[in-house]
Amino acid sequence: MRNVTLESQSNPESHIPHPVFLYACLYRPPQSEPARASLAVIAQEFSPRYECHRDDLVSIDVSGLERLLGPARVIGEELRRDAASRGVRVHVAVAGARMAALVLAHARPGVTIVEPGGEAGALAPLAIGILERLDDVVGADPCVPPSQGYGEARQSAKRDGSRPGPTLRSGQARGSAPPSDAMVETLSVFKRWGLKTLGELAALPSADLASRLGRQALVWQAIARGDDVRPLVPTLEEERFESSLELEWPIEGLEPLSFVLTRLLEPLSTRLERRDRGAAVLHVLLRLVTKDVHARRLELPAPMRDVRALRTLALLDLESHPPAGAVDRVAVVIDPTPGRVLQHTLFTRAQPTPEQVSTLLARLGALMGQDRLGAPATVDSYRPGAFAMMPFATEHDDQRRTRGTRREQDEPDAARSALNVVSALRRCRQPVPARVTIDDGRPARVTTDRRGFVGGTVVSCAGPWRTSGNWWADRSGGTQTQPSYWNRDEWDVALNDGAVYRIFQDRDTEAWFIDAIVD
Amino acid sequence: MPLARADLESLLRTRRLDRTLTTALPPLDPAGIPDEYVCAPTGHTALDARLGGGFPRGHLSEIVGPRSSGRTSLLLQMLAAATARGELVALVDALDMLDVASADAAGVQLDRLLWVRGHVVTNPGLCRDLNQRAVEQAIRAFTLVLQAGNFGLVAFDAGEAPADAIRRLPFTTWMRLQRLIEGSQTAGVLVGSESMARSSSGLTVKLGIGASGFGIRGTRAIRFGSRLFEGFDVDVRVIRARARAREDATVALRTLAACGA
Repeated sequence: MRNVTLESQSNPESHIPHPVFLYACLYRPPQSEPARASLAVIAQEFSPRYECHRDDLVSIDVSGLERLLGPARVIGEELRRDAASRGVRVHVAVAGARMAALVLAHARPGVTIVEPGGEAGALAPLAIGILERLDDVVGADPCVPPSQGYGEARQSAKRDGSRPGPTLRSGQARGSAPPSDAMVETLSVFKRWGLKTLGELAALPSADLASRLGRQALVWQAIARGDDVRPLVPTLEEERFESSLELEWPIEGLEPLSFVLTRLLEPLSTRLERRDRGAAVLHVLLRLVTKDVHARRLELPAPMRDVRALRTLALLDLESHPPAGAVDRVAVVIDPTPGRVLQHTLFTRAQPTPEQVSTLLARLGALMGQDRLGAPATVDSYRPGAFAMMPFATEHDDQRRTRGTRREQDEPDAARSALNVVSALRRCRQPVPARVTIDDGRPARVTTDRRGFVGGTVVSCAGPWRTSGNWWADRSGGTQTQPSYWNRDEWDVALNDGAVYRIFQDRDTEAWFIDAIVD
Repeated sequence: MPLARADLESLLRTRRLDRTLTTALPPLDPAGIPDEYVCAPTGHTALDARLGGGFPRGHLSEIVGPRSSGRTSLLLQMLAAATARGELVALVDALDMLDVASADAAGVQLDRLLWVRGHVVTNPGLCRDLNQRAVEQAIRAFTLVLQAGNFGLVAFDAGEAPADAIRRLPFTTWMRLQRLIEGSQTAGVLVGSESMARSSSGLTVKLGIGASGFGIRGTRAIRFGSRLFEGFDVDVRVIRARARAREDATVALRTLAACGA
């Protein structure tokens, strides 16, 4: 007892089993026929800890799998056999270091097994050009800066502030990318130095290498020595956000449905928040008593996870598209998207959040009609009163913007000054038919039958201003008030009742109309 | 020894802490600089000076006047000034009469303008209740926008709406809207031919021509060029001011026709 105690005191780590890491790497060489199964599916069969670097390259943590399958060679053979059964021909490498397995899988076909501690020896005879094929893998590592060229490491990092991209998520596809210019330049330097193999690179003194080529060269040297430059970052499966509820009694109407939706959305919102995700698309699936499924799909303008906003949007949509019968099952599915990153500031005015704007637009759309709201936009046309309606954006920058287009800069300064106001028109979307008396070629009296447009004697006027357009279009097209073709003489008239109108005479029909009110 | 009430008030006035204790209002602007967080400037220098910085936020204000008195021009000027400050603005256009080209010419950043187009028609025919329902619908839309909050300026344009349709609205409508907007950073503006909100409004300005001696319409105040209309001169008169502006102040505006308007 005493001996054991003394022994453990003298060497406390001697009884702790040393963890043995074992990594397998699958590399699918370019093939003529497309792969029938992805490497991620094969990796999932062996370990939940795997990382997809590209769609043709995956590394798997197979530590501990020896107890189930046997030694490393058996694991490698099993991996190759499983891939072959799925119709995928792969290179398999099993080693104690992940980067060594990645390099060996690229370099050697079949199954390559490296005993723990022998990584450097296995890599040493490989040609140094193999690093070119790993450039994008190393550059994508979160802990490793992108490969930088000779003498440019710090300057480049400061200049572009580039960050390596994340590893692939499940379902994403990416092939091997061509080596970066910096990598090509570094390799050319290696070749000028006479280096041909990874072993020769590994043998160089690290301090001198870093002083000449920067820190990135140390990363390449670590790979050549069979060291891992970062741990494996497991690829996570995209989580499904769906929830459903079977109802004991069918429900009709939106009010009881709102309670059900709240109950379904609350746990989903919690899960979204936990994963830092927002809802991009909201699917509401209602199974009716008739066994039909009433499916609604809401594309949300901004990622959101607020339960009230989501429920309100779903209810407003269902209000305008009600189900045909009673509902006996409700399901909600959310397509997630990365959450918004908000940085509030004390120095700019608060603006409506995207949730508020989305809810407002949905409510206004239900009240007024979707075609009755939005952001107006000018169109490239000489048609009087032409405009377009654009969707009102839910997110706006909070910067004060200065108008700087060329057309606006060309406008007279007087109209832009703070001492004058630009006079505006009120357009009659349906021009008001008018009777106009002509005296000496100019309007002398304007009257209408329309309530509110009494008319009167013309005190002063200016015109005519002849405008026409779309003369090539079909004259029967368009509507009566907005024909695709127009040809008219415009006058601005001030009447004795104080009103100023823009009137026009259609040159085809010679009919007069009030087009706008100057206000 | 306790101070007398008069002494306390005197001290408070000296320290300018009397805003909530007495009816006296603080000076317009100590430094002469309008506070954008209290008022929404119109962008017209003289008018802003008269109004004490602009239209008050958290209040329902009115722009009233007859047809062709410059109401829309002033409204678009306010929208342009608000969007230039980076604010989002909304216009509930009860009669769907906004001229987008005029708004663009006035300087409104159109992508920051939420335009709600109403269904009020100028010729309802035999459907007498049509406009009434449409006005009520527009009021509901106006309410929704105010409830959303954080818009810099929200305008309800019923300038050409039939007067009877406006008058038939319950008076509590405006009280409710005023209550809704109180304490917010939104400046609510009603545009009409006559006063709608009455005592609910924070500021009422009346537009017209001739009040300050500009002359007879068509002879001097309205200008025509060789091509088309060129502009007119407008008097803006503050007829009710709850906040900073002084009542009965009058400002002359000159409107200029934009290119292509």
